[in-house]
Amino acid sequence: MTNIKQLADASMGKLTSLEKQLSGVLRPIEPRKEFVRGVAHRIRTGSQVDLLVDRIANWHLIALLMAGLITLAVFLAVVGRTLLSLLEKKRTA
Amino acid sequence: MPESEEKNILLNASQGDLEAFGILYEKYVERIYNYVYYRTGNVHDAEDLSARVFYRALNHIHTYTDRGLPFSAWLYRIAHNLIANWHRDRSRHQEIPLSDAPIIHFKSEPPEVTLMQTQEQDSLLRYIRHLPSERQHLLILKFVEHMSNADIGVTMGRSEGAVKSLYHRTLLALRNELESSD
Repeated sequence: MTNIKQLADASMGKLTSLEKQLSGVLRPIEPRKEFVRGVAHRIRTGSQVDLLVDRIANWHLIALLMAGLITLAVFLAVVGRTLLSLLEKKRTA
Repeated sequence: MPESEEKNILLNASQGDLEAFGILYEKYVERIYNYVYYRTGNVHDAEDLSARVFYRALNHIHTYTDRGLPFSAWLYRIAHNLIANWHRDRSRHQEIPLSDAPIIHFKSEPPEVTLMQTQEQDSLLRYIRHLPSERQHLLILKFVEHMSNADIGVTMGRSEGAVKSLYHRTLLALRNELESSD
């Protein structure tokens, strides 16, 4: 029983020491004032460029959508042409 | 800022009031910056991504609906998604050697006190960055923001008990990682 208690105490001690290490490593950091002011200014003046950049930053999705649309268009064209040629063959036959 | 006042500001911001959004930005910028900094590990990306969090929030503030969670939870979700994209765009986590790392200032210390990480602290930070994002978030809220388990629960959409349990499991996982590296 004493051994279990000692093990538990040792384990708790390690966790407490880890918590101390964490509080030494994870401390609040102050962002640069120029950065904070710069973004605040762009937000307040409604700088469209940054907002646009944020939208364009989603280009992966846009590219995927475009690729999907082009594939769909090509597929529809091929199916349409095949159907048309089949119809023409039927007519001539 | 009282909760009712923040609700009014949020309402104005969602109707396109840039000044109101500016007030929200000033209230939350440091918290988001700290979150992003500890998730990415460098000042350049922390600044870039933090700015993008707020631009994205501004772009989508009209869709924001109050579901009883704090506004910060919405911002953290945006930050989480941007950081996930950032990690995806890189095959491995970007780590800047200490000699190249820009100077950072701890809030509680005068500006001349700069970060001098020991190797031990550096490796602990590296282990933290390899934890699942939810656990990293929990540690940041607990140690950087000194939030209580109850408040962390509100922000993360979990019960206080679940936060306690997750915290304990996170400490055990970190301890095991550290012990296996010794």
